[in-house]
Order: sequence, then C-alpha cells, then structure tokens
Amino acid sequence: MSGVNIKAIQEQAEQEINSVNSLQALEALRVKYLGRKGIVVELTGLIPSLPIEERKIFGQQFNALKNKLTDLFAGKEKGLAEIKISEGNARVDIGLPGIVQDLGRLHPLTQVIEEICDILTRLGFSVVEGPEIETEYNNFTGLNIPLEHPSRDVFDTFYLKLSDPDCRTRNLLLRSQTSPMQVRMMKAHKPPLAVAAPGKVYRPDAVDASHSFMFHQIEGFMVDRDIKFSDLKGVLELLAKAIFGQGIKMRFRPHFFPFTEPSAEIDISCIICQGKGCSVCSRKGWLEILGSGMIHPNVFRNVGYDPKKYTGFAFGLGIERIAMLKFGIDDIRLFFENDLRFLSQF
Amino acid sequence: MQVTYNWLKDFVEINIAPEELAEKLTMAGLEVTSLKPAGEDWVFEIEVTSNRPDWLSVVGIAREVSAITGKKLAQRKFKPVVYTRKQSGELSIDVQDKKDCPLYTAKIIRGIRVSFAPDWLRQRLELVGCRSINSIVDITNYVLFEYGEPLHAFDLGRLEGKNIIVRRAKDGEKIITIDGQSQVLGPNILVIADKNRVVAVAGIMGGQDTEVSYSTKDILLEAAVFDPLIIRRARQKLGMQSESAYRFERGINPQIVEEASQRARELIEEIGGGKCVIAQGQGILKAKKLNISLELKRVEKILGKSISLGRIKGILGYLGFKVAPKRKNILGVSIPVHRQDVAREEDLIEEIARILGYDEIPTTLPAIKPQITIDKTRSLITLVKNILVGLGLNEVVTYSLISRELSAKLNPGKEGEIEILNPLSKEQEVLRTALASGLLDCVSRNLNHKQDYINIFEVAKVFAKNNNHSKEGFNLAIALCGIKPRLFKQGLVKDEVGILHLKGLVETVLSRVGIKHYCFKQEDNAESVGVYINKERIGLLLEVGRGNLEKFEIKNRKVVVAELSLERLLAEAGTQKKFVPLPLYPGITRDISLLINEKTVIEEMILAVQEKGKPWLREVRVTDYYRGKQIPLGFKGLTISCFYRSDERTLTETEIHPLHAALVAVLEERFGVKIR
Repeated sequence: MSGVNIKAIQEQAEQEINSVNSLQALEALRVKYLGRKGIVVELTGLIPSLPIEERKIFGQQFNALKNKLTDLFAGKEKGLAEIKISEGNARVDIGLPGIVQDLGRLHPLTQVIEEICDILTRLGFSVVEGPEIETEYNNFTGLNIPLEHPSRDVFDTFYLKLSDPDCRTRNLLLRSQTSPMQVRMMKAHKPPLAVAAPGKVYRPDAVDASHSFMFHQIEGFMVDRDIKFSDLKGVLELLAKAIFGQGIKMRFRPHFFPFTEPSAEIDISCIICQGKGCSVCSRKGWLEILGSGMIHPNVFRNVGYDPKKYTGFAFGLGIERIAMLKFGIDDIRLFFENDLRFLSQF
Repeated sequence: MQVTYNWLKDFVEINIAPEELAEKLTMAGLEVTSLKPAGEDWVFEIEVTSNRPDWLSVVGIAREVSAITGKKLAQRKFKPVVYTRKQSGELSIDVQDKKDCPLYTAKIIRGIRVSFAPDWLRQRLELVGCRSINSIVDITNYVLFEYGEPLHAFDLGRLEGKNIIVRRAKDGEKIITIDGQSQVLGPNILVIADKNRVVAVAGIMGGQDTEVSYSTKDILLEAAVFDPLIIRRARQKLGMQSESAYRFERGINPQIVEEASQRARELIEEIGGGKCVIAQGQGILKAKKLNISLELKRVEKILGKSISLGRIKGILGYLGFKVAPKRKNILGVSIPVHRQDVAREEDLIEEIARILGYDEIPTTLPAIKPQITIDKTRSLITLVKNILVGLGLNEVVTYSLISRELSAKLNPGKEGEIEILNPLSKEQEVLRTALASGLLDCVSRNLNHKQDYINIFEVAKVFAKNNNHSKEGFNLAIALCGIKPRLFKQGLVKDEVGILHLKGLVETVLSRVGIKHYCFKQEDNAESVGVYINKERIGLLLEVGRGNLEKFEIKNRKVVVAELSLERLLAEAGTQKKFVPLPLYPGITRDISLLINEKTVIEEMILAVQEKGKPWLREVRVTDYYRGKQIPLGFKGLTISCFYRSDERTLTETEIHPLHAALVAVLEERFGVKIR
C-alpha cells in the first residue's frame, strides 16, 4: 500500500518539475516536495504506524524518492539557468517603457538667458546680477535721464513706499531696466570692463498678449580706452547671429536713448517671413531686437570716469521678446502662467 | 507724425521714389512705420524720438531729407509785420509769469469771411489725419503740421474786453473746451483768459465760447511758447490729448513762432480775405547760442572710421549747423535754435554717423583685456537649478509683485512687506516675502488643467523691509503634488509625494553644493520640518494643511512645499573639491534588522551608532523600512546597514564582531530596539 503511494508521488513530482519553466516556480515546487513541511518530509510521519518489517523497505524507498527528487530539481535548475543566460535578452519586451528618472526642464526664459550669457561669456564678458530694488539715482539720474523725463512718471515706474537711504526725499523703486547695472559696476570697478547683467525688471503696464508688468532684460556693456562704434557693431552682429542663426540679415538704425550717444536700434530680418513682410514684423520685414549705443559722456562723468579717456558701448535686450521670436510664442502671459503643458515643450 | 511726399516737396527737391525715401529716412533715425499711397500723393507715418521735437513738422522732416539727399532746403520769405505796443487800447497782453509762458504773440485780423478751406489744404490735412472744421481753424492746423508751432484763433468779437491774460486758473474755475467736454481747473493749470473768464486751456485746447465759427468776422491769432512741464501736467490731470499739447510738451523752437504766425496770417489774408491790423507780442525771442568744437580725431576714435572734412561740413551744413574751421582738424560748430538736443561733441558725431549711414561704419571686434569676475551666487544658482532639473523638477517663473491677498494666504498678519506706492491693479500691491504662495497658485492652475502630478521649483528674489531699509535675497522653493506612477519590471508603483520626497531633493542640493553639516528637525506644529545648516534654520519643508490648500482652491490633494533661503545656503556652500585617496583595503557590511518604537527618532539612533562605531564604522544607512502584518502595533521595522573599513589593514570577522555587538547593545539599551 505504501509502495503505491511513493511511486505515485514520484510520478506526480516528475510531471510537475518537467512542466515548470521559471526558477521561481521551481523553487516553490521544491518547497512543496522537499521543504520542511513538504510532502516528502510528511511521509516520515507515517513510519511509526508501520509494522517493524515494513519499516526497512519503506526507509529504502523513501531515501530513493528523496534522492531522485533532489537530482531532478538540481537538473531542472541547471537547465533553467542555462536558458536564462542564453535567452535572457529575448525575454525583455522592448516595447515596454524604459525605466528612467524623468528629467525636468529649465524655464524657457532661463534657457534664453543662459544661452545669451554663454555667448557673451565666450566674448569675454563677465556675467553679474544686481538688485531689483534700485535708487532713482541708479535707475535714472546716473544714466543721464533728466529729472522731468516721462519715464520717471508713476505711469512708467513702480515706486516703493520706502525712501532711499541716501536721499530721504526720494522713494526707492523697482528697476525699470537693467541699465542701472552700468552705474553700479562702473562705480565699483575701473576699466577695462566687459559686463553682462541679466535680470527681472518692472514697469506698470497693463497685462495683455504683448505686455507684462514684470519681464527680463540683459544689459551688456564694455568700457576701455579704445572702444569704438565699429566694435559695438562687431559684437552685436556676433551675438545676433549666434542667437538667430548665421543666415539673418541685420541693420543698425539711429535711435535715441538718453544714456548713449550715438545710439542705435538693431533690427534683424524677420525670422518668420525671411523679410517678405508678415504680421509678426508688421509687414516691415524687420524685427527690432535690441537697443544700443556708445555710453554717453554724462554717464561716465556720473560714475567718475573721464569721458576723454574712456569710451564704451552698451546694449540692452528684452528676453521675452527674443524667446517669443525664437520659439514662436505669441502671448507673453504664457511665460508666467507656468502651465506644465507649456513648460514641457522647451 | 504723418507727412506727405508732396508737402515735403514744397520745401525740398526730391528726386527719389517714396519707397526709397522711406528707407533712407528710416536708416537716418526717422523710422517710417508705414507708407501708403493716397491719390497723387503718399503718406509717411514716422516715429519721432523724444529728443527731436523739430521732427514734429513738415519743415523739420524736409530738413532731414535735404541732408540725406544733398538738396538745399527752400526758405520762405514773409513781408515784415511791425509789432506795436498797446495801440489805442485795442489789445493788451498780460503774461503773469514768464516761466509759464516765455513768449506770447497775438495778431488781430479783421474783416474775414469764414468758409470751407480750399481743397488742396483740406486734402493735405485729411491725409495727415486732421479733420477739416472751417477755413480759419484749418489754416491754424495746417501751419501746426507745417512748422510744428501750435496756433490758436479766437473769435475776437466774443472776447470780453480787449485784453489777453496768461495766468494760472483759480481753484474750481471751469471751461467747456471745443471738444464739448466740461473741465474743472485749478492753480496747476495755465490758462488764457479775457477780462472775465477762461477762454482756453493754454497750449492744450481752446474754449467753445470763443471758437471761430462761420459768423466770425474778426479773430485774434495766438502764437506762443509755453513751459513743456506745465502743459504735460495739465494734460495728464485733465486727461486730454491734442496735437498742440503733444508739441508744447516736447518743446517749441521759439524762432519758428514768428514764421509760423506770419505763414498763417498770409494764408488767412489770402483765403479768408481779412487784414492784419495789429501785431503784438510779449517775451523773449532769443534762444541761447551754443558753439561746439569738433575734433576730427575724436570722430574717428568714437566711430572707428575716418570721415573727410568736406563730408562732415556738408552733412552738418544741410542740417542747419554753421561750420567754420577753428584750427587744423578742429571745426567750430554753431548750433541752430531748432537743435536744442545737440549740446556736445558726441551729439555732433551722432549727426555725422546718422546721415552718413551706420552701414558705412565698419564692423570690428574690440581688443580688450577684461577682468574676469565670477558672480558666485549666480554660478551656484545655476548649479542648484541644474541639480533640480536633473531630479525631474520643472522650473517656473512667477510674479514678484503680488496681491496683498495672495501674500497673506500662507502668512497671515506677516509684517515687513514692502508696499508699492503706485500699483496698477490689486495684483501688484506688495513685493513677496516668500515664494511658496506663487508655487501653490501654479499647482492650483495646473490641477485645473487636469495635470495629476506636479513637480515644480522656482529660484527668485524675496523682499522685506527691515528698519525702513529694503532687503532682497534669493529663495528656493519646491512644490510637489500628486501621485507619480512609476512602471517597473515587476509592475506599477504608485508613488505619492510627501515630506520625504522634499527631504531627498533638498539633501541632494545641499550635499552637491558642498554643505556637510545640515539636519532636518520636526517642528512643534507637526506639519513642518525645519532645515538647519550649522544650527541655523534656513528654511522648512511643509505639508500644506487642508485649510490653506482650500485658499488656493486645491481640494482632496496632498501638496508639499519646501522653501529655503538661498543666500544663507550659498554662504555656507563649499565649492572647493578635494581628492581623498581611494581605500587600500576592502570593507565589510553588516546588517541589523530591528523593531523600534514608533516614537523613536531614527536620526538620534543613527547618530548614537555613528558615535559608538568609531573609528572603523564608515557609513550607516537605513536600507529597509516596513510596517505591516509581521510588525506589532506601535513599532516599525528597520534594517540598518553598517559599513566597516580600516585604512591600515583588511579587517577580519573576529575584529569586527565585538564592535558590531557593541553597536547592537547601544541600540538595545538606549533605544529599546528588538533585534529580529
């Protein structure tokens, strides 16, 4: 009776071992038969109930079963391991998503600022940042902007309910341009100077598709004994082509800024219509991208430089405008809404 | 400013097509923003920069055309009119303050017939966007566009008393202007008055009462110069706009006043058929004469191109400057009255470059030995941003100016906010003292767009008032919300954000910028964790409470926020990296699996182990953490991995055993853990 039992167990086990095809399943099966509470071990529990003469035979059969199964498991395990090594790669379905840490993104404005600062750094400029709260002197007076200039109006500059420690009668303000960095840097350092100053600026403009009360600029300037208008043209041509591509055409147009003389506005051929005329360039074929000029002698006097000894150029550009042109964005508000569907495109 | 091709031709010969002229004007600094054909004529729309009020006239633009094309500007000649003083009491002019009105002239023209202006005149006015009224008003407007001098004609019969008073308005004085608007005036507003009442807001608009109509027989023609500032302030205060104010605000060439007035008189006599009987004026006609020396070497030094003496003389001559040689290669340049903007050598150099064309100036690269200054803050901020992007976060940029309401959402009753004196709207009342509110706003908006996992950060300035001084510094804020689904080989893992995610991000940032001594401490309110560097609190990690989330209209979501002062973090940052020789001998790892009381602070336990394990214990890490069926209530399961290594030899089991046993003993005795 017991012999039949053992044989049946062996046949059952052999069949199950054969049909297994993973190491995990094989291990589970091993536990089922040979584990501490496995089927084989349980058989030993039968021994006390057997007549003495049968016990010996049962013991032999039991040992044979145990050895047989141990061999079968070992053989199967070896077989499975070999399959795994030879066919391992084929077993991954490469159609499944890759396993990776997601990469985030820098804001498109940061990307443009960094790109421009990188170009300027390679041209020898040092990149520095200044405060956003400024004095009226640095934002206007030092830059040769007269006391009654309209840009000083409360319509064009945010003033703070806080007075300037150096001039109690004047309120501090939020810088309306990055140009005050010219005054700060020149007051603190002697030429030669080549500085790029990116940062936030503020103006009380009603928000719409092309206006924002907070935006970003980069101010760049270079001062030494022998800096010429032709150098300004050379540097800005390199910069514009590095940003917008070697294929663009450029023009330098006379303009007026209180802190430069001569002054120039720089246009590039419209990158949307290649100069044919479209809605982005108001049918002009040209896009204004930055304002520039030779630093005004009065600015040099204000910072304590001798205008007969030093010359220099300065330029300022609006980051949002450059980013909008580069990426084809038509609404400035998108930059500050921070919709992840927007941010994830850059 | 609008001007027509044919009108310019009245003053200068033009042999180039309108399109070419537009291009040349643009490249000389008079940007033509549109050019439109209009019958036989062409209309140029020109953007006039604020330094060139002389361009607000046909004559002024014609002078530029003359310089660009090298053709002479035509001069008009008028029959002289003799000015009289208080003639038989018929007219007296009383200017109360010469500062407000440096020059006032009036002509009385009698016996006119007011009708329609002739077609040629009306057409030109309409082309430049000015509506035709009647012959007299049209003539004054025509001359305004032609010479840039605003004129005004009063109906003499409706002026009370034959005197004109230029004075400040009295408080509450009223006028109905010709646009039909009723205006209440005050002492900051300059007016023209007759004996009894205000008849015009000086330099801005005339009154309806004394307006020239078809029944007008005699007129008083005003040509004056008013203080630009008082005109600007009055216009802003009254909310008015006019071509006249536009020009007065930018400054009038006093020398053109008489010419413009004569031109108008001539046209009125010709078209309206009257006769000028009295001309009277008060004030100074003379403007300061300025002479500037121009050195040829300086021109080259600034522009980077040498320009011949003849070329310079030609350009400046056409623009109306008088040029005489002073010494060798130095010119004496006398500045005409219409060019108040030119005050120094550089201004003349710009004129030369502008007319020559910036295209003529070569392109060079500067030879400069710049000092390399490294903005340490900026470099570290770039590093921090890149680390966070690498960890999967998205950078946002939000407004620094926020509403008081938004500012108070997370920090009610907070003091030290800097207020804006002149906010445009409620959204710009204060400068933010923290970034977290702006980020929660972003989270809320993105949730509305059905984003279910949001991970953002911002690096920006925060502002505060301290003893009436302003302070600004960079903060870093991180906000996480939602469940990140991660698909691994064994299947989907739903990873809900929590404080530990923030801890991981902040720790990575801190260690990568070289800060060693930092720690996190649970704060009393249980919602927040303080972040400390060298015992100084530099920020916090926070699970935003439900009440606060509701203020941002975030419901049923878990949001965690971190905010740190970058200024304080960067002050501690050590960017200097130093090589430590690689270990010569291998180390051994021993794990301890244990059960500890829920309330035990893991950090304290680790510190105690580290202390005890000296000098061979190099690293202690929590490598597993579990709660669940096998763990009794009130306990948590941990695995701590200890790494032992000596710099002198390979450690053996027997050496490590007593030390490891001592660690286990510390855990059991001091922290009551049960070893599993």
